[in-house]
Amino acid sequence: MTENKIYFKFDGKKYAGNQGDTIAAALLRNNVRLIGRSFKYHRPRGIYTCGIEEPNALVQIINEHNEPNVRATVKKIYEGMIVKSQNRWPSLKTDLGSINNILSPIFSAGFYYKTFMGPKGFWKNVYEPLIRRTAGLGKPPKEFKSKSIHQHHNVDIIIVGGGLSGLLAARKFAGTNYDVLLVEREDALGGILKNSNKIKSINDQPSNDWLEKTKRLIRNSNNIKILKNTLVTTYNFSDHLIALEDKNVGKPQDNEKPELVLHKIRTKHAILANGHIERFITFRNNDLPGVMLAASFEKYLNRYGVIPDESPVIFTNNSSTYSLLKSLTDLGHKPKAYVDIRDQKNIEKETLDLLEKFNIPFYPKSEVEGCEGKKEVKKVSIRTKKNQITKIKSSMLCVSGGFNPDIHLFTQSKGLLKWDETLLTFKPDRIFQNTITLGSVSGNFSYEKVLVEVEKKLSEFQGLNELEVKFELNGPEKFQIKELWETKHEKNSLWSKSFIDLQNDVTTKDLKQAVSEGFNRIEHLKRFTTNSMGTDQGKISSINALGIVSKILKKDISEVGTTTYRPPYSPVNFSAIAGRSTYEFYDPERKTSLHSWHVNQNAVFENVGQWKRPWYFKKSEDETMHQAVQREAEQVRKTAGILDGSTLGKIEIKGKDALTFVNLIYTNSFTKMKPKTGRYALMLGEDGMVKDDGIVCKINDQHFIVTTTTGNAASILAHMEEYAQTEWPNLNVYMNSITEQFATFNLSGPKSRVIMSRVFNDIDFANDRFPFMSFKNFKYLNTEIRVLRASFTGELGYEIYVPPSHALKLWQKFFIYSRDFDLVPYGTETMHLLRAEKGYIIVGQDTDGTVTPLDLNLNWMIGKKKKDFIGKRSLTRTDIVRETRKQLVGLVPIDKTLGIEEGQHIIEQKDLSLPIKDPVDMLGHVTSSYFSPNLNHSVAMALIRGGKRKIGSRLYVSTENLNTIAVEVVEPNFIDPKNERMML
Amino acid sequence: MTTLTYKDGIEINQVTRQQITLRGKGDGAFAFSINKEVSLLPPSDNLRMVDNDRFIFAKQSFDQWVLIAKTKEDDQEILRMVSDINKNEAMLASNYSEGQSYFEISGKDKDRYLNKLTHFDFRDKKFPASTMVQTLIARIDCCIYKLEDKYLITCGKSFEDYFRDRLLDSVNL
Repeated sequence: MTENKIYFKFDGKKYAGNQGDTIAAALLRNNVRLIGRSFKYHRPRGIYTCGIEEPNALVQIINEHNEPNVRATVKKIYEGMIVKSQNRWPSLKTDLGSINNILSPIFSAGFYYKTFMGPKGFWKNVYEPLIRRTAGLGKPPKEFKSKSIHQHHNVDIIIVGGGLSGLLAARKFAGTNYDVLLVEREDALGGILKNSNKIKSINDQPSNDWLEKTKRLIRNSNNIKILKNTLVTTYNFSDHLIALEDKNVGKPQDNEKPELVLHKIRTKHAILANGHIERFITFRNNDLPGVMLAASFEKYLNRYGVIPDESPVIFTNNSSTYSLLKSLTDLGHKPKAYVDIRDQKNIEKETLDLLEKFNIPFYPKSEVEGCEGKKEVKKVSIRTKKNQITKIKSSMLCVSGGFNPDIHLFTQSKGLLKWDETLLTFKPDRIFQNTITLGSVSGNFSYEKVLVEVEKKLSEFQGLNELEVKFELNGPEKFQIKELWETKHEKNSLWSKSFIDLQNDVTTKDLKQAVSEGFNRIEHLKRFTTNSMGTDQGKISSINALGIVSKILKKDISEVGTTTYRPPYSPVNFSAIAGRSTYEFYDPERKTSLHSWHVNQNAVFENVGQWKRPWYFKKSEDETMHQAVQREAEQVRKTAGILDGSTLGKIEIKGKDALTFVNLIYTNSFTKMKPKTGRYALMLGEDGMVKDDGIVCKINDQHFIVTTTTGNAASILAHMEEYAQTEWPNLNVYMNSITEQFATFNLSGPKSRVIMSRVFNDIDFANDRFPFMSFKNFKYLNTEIRVLRASFTGELGYEIYVPPSHALKLWQKFFIYSRDFDLVPYGTETMHLLRAEKGYIIVGQDTDGTVTPLDLNLNWMIGKKKKDFIGKRSLTRTDIVRETRKQLVGLVPIDKTLGIEEGQHIIEQKDLSLPIKDPVDMLGHVTSSYFSPNLNHSVAMALIRGGKRKIGSRLYVSTENLNTIAVEVVEPNFIDPKNERMML
Repeated sequence: MTTLTYKDGIEINQVTRQQITLRGKGDGAFAFSINKEVSLLPPSDNLRMVDNDRFIFAKQSFDQWVLIAKTKEDDQEILRMVSDINKNEAMLASNYSEGQSYFEISGKDKDRYLNKLTHFDFRDKKFPASTMVQTLIARIDCCIYKLEDKYLITCGKSFEDYFRDRLLDSVNL
């Protein structure tokens, strides 16, 4: 019916498909078999499977940001979808890259490793760009903005797989007290019930009726949640699983809604009922379009109503292909031939009866030697039991090489496998976590046994439902298989290829060569040949490779072992991993209560940790950062400036032993410090190196408030807690972070006292009433604020601590009351400049974890009479008191017009010329450097070896070229060394 | 109270609350100091809450408790309480009223909704009423208090804009 048709484009041509079709189903419906070109040899490739395991049919979705490597066997079509084949030029039919196929005899295993060794420089400039241009799978997506979200789940049970085994398990749990999550990778539950006709009826009803009833039962139970279109990709430790849900199945992208959901699931028990994967058999030209796995062919028939070919050749080594035979004959189609490697006497009676009934050419004890054709299968070459070659005209060959339990998730959970000699496959053996495997993932290919298995393995759970299920099957119940990994070639030409890994173009010849070159360990061999390393991770072929390698090595497969199955099971988009932690939510942001004011005043922000701090304020659009900073710094020293210092860490410390505690934490002595005063304090690590600094305010001996640097606020609190709880548990002391309880303003400049007196007109700010490093708490409106007289600029200054709800109005009040002084708001860059002029350090800029208080000329901050403090012992080490340690000094350029760059080296040599023959003695480096508008030249601070003794001498600062800048080494204090301005 | 959203089984309100963070041994003197102020005895089990008409009283860790006013108290009253509690020199009371932002989340889908932002297990059997937890929501430290029919979530004031944007973003996705 026309109204149900969906139109999409493939390589520019319009096709119609049905609602629910995958791209592959729709293309097969239109008899399109050539889908892409292979990775290395650019060989024509078609549709090999009907699901996630597809190695060949990878396409780009042009209208989804050019998304590459999309499996045509998974992606559903929708109206207007634009699909393009990949890895070909200029067209899919005529691909110039296919010259690689002609040159293929030289592209053997390890080709890259052996070939691109020289000449020097060629790898970077020639080989790599060339290989990157010609190789690869698809083109990278164009720039796009994706919306994906994360969803967490906490459940008692997760059932992975909504096929028959998963549904049986779900029925057991329906309506019980267990919280269950049922995860199905496809858009419908049912699995084998929908994909094949293997089960004729359940409980004497068509299997579809049972399926519908089961779905209703699950839907009506309030304890089972179903996730469809969701692929479990990862099974981590602690029964933590990750699943990826595609929200846009069969729909065009909606940029407003999440396209992917990454489910993070924590469960008590994981039931893996994720089934099996059919594997192929290697033969000559087993990659030609038209070769397809038998179960996949059957899935196209039953699930999509697509008949990929009405008369294919069927080639098998096991009993499972009966159902394909039956599906085809039920539809009135007759396979061209049925080729079975097994002896006729071992082939099931049901199969023989069907072959006979429909008079289908039957080749027992025979094998497919190869296929003929250029862009698709034209003929199938069969080696009969009499070792004769028979060629049959056919455009499709359905292959079944047996089944692999889908053990990826089980092995990710660290469960152990064992080789089953009867099923010829690895299957789960021992669990490592709370994992239960059910159905074919357990290696259980018998439906009757599945029932027994479900009952047995779920018997540990209390209060589950009874299962009353009776199967009637189409065809043989018992799975039977004969080993066959590769058939023998008739044509032994250099161009004859039998592929073991279709996605990476790895042939069985490559495996043999790798082993002959000594790569006889499976992990080494995998990396040398790239076998099973593509986006499909060798789902249909890795066990075949083990089979072939075991034959070469003359070992049992169990001895060869498997390679490691690592998550994810299938590729996961980066956008899904990132979730909403992108763009505006890339990192959590912290804002001060004045943020909006800063925005309105054209603040340019810098990130300090997660804080957004005003860096500088642009007075006009064309004002540069340098101009703004110079203007702000000049104004502060001329009248006054105000800084939003709210990000400063603030910690309240209290307890009977609070004084002892701060004495131990900081280097300074606080014993004789008067209440209501503050003190600049240093904190060291055990190694004696400066860890942080701040101001300690003493309310009384049992109560202190300390400040920390912005970036260290959390870690300093943690540091204090650690010492309080583990080193000095005998002390009665507690601490709370009050960083966010107070906004902080730093008012600085010669006019700041006048401004303070205007804003708080009932407080006496006279020098003798409110001296330097004292603080007062007073009522302000209906709250309490604290004002500390302190300075980080060298000017008269005050720090005002106010609850955030009052901050903005009070901040604005400062500007209203200081119009005649042109009070300037300043940012962190100006703060850095002003403190550098004064020679104040910034921990983390002028220190780097290797600097002691002595190196910084801060000996005066060490309480000499204190019995102990953190780092005290280290300060007496000979290396710490060594005079040749790097010490903080000031630098002033001799030529006052020159600027000094932070980070540059300090040297004694004036001239540096190439080539530098002898090592240049690096004395140290510049830690801070600014152009001072108040001095009209650059000032810098530097850590220099034996710096104190070099004061007064001339040294040189390196530049980005070979020039040097002559500087005079001075005391690191450029403005008001007597502190007269600060003490006004 | 500001209603941020009310749709699809989710209601998010930003509310004004006051909070005092308490540190101490939790001994008799500690209990006496608090009981005198709010007529509640401190919960002895970690992450448990007790409440009365005025306050929620929760134990956050072995030596940390929190008092949250259920309705707006006079700011002066909170300052007085902090000051009075701090007269016990063996304990610390810090006014956190303005250092935190407060959000109430209710509605039938609140658990599924919050699980877009946090891994925390909200199931009744794991997180019963009158318990609290400190965990990450949208990658920031938060406290979640489980009241009868809603959650009270607190986070640092400086994260308020980011957190509110994340809450609203998740409603729409």
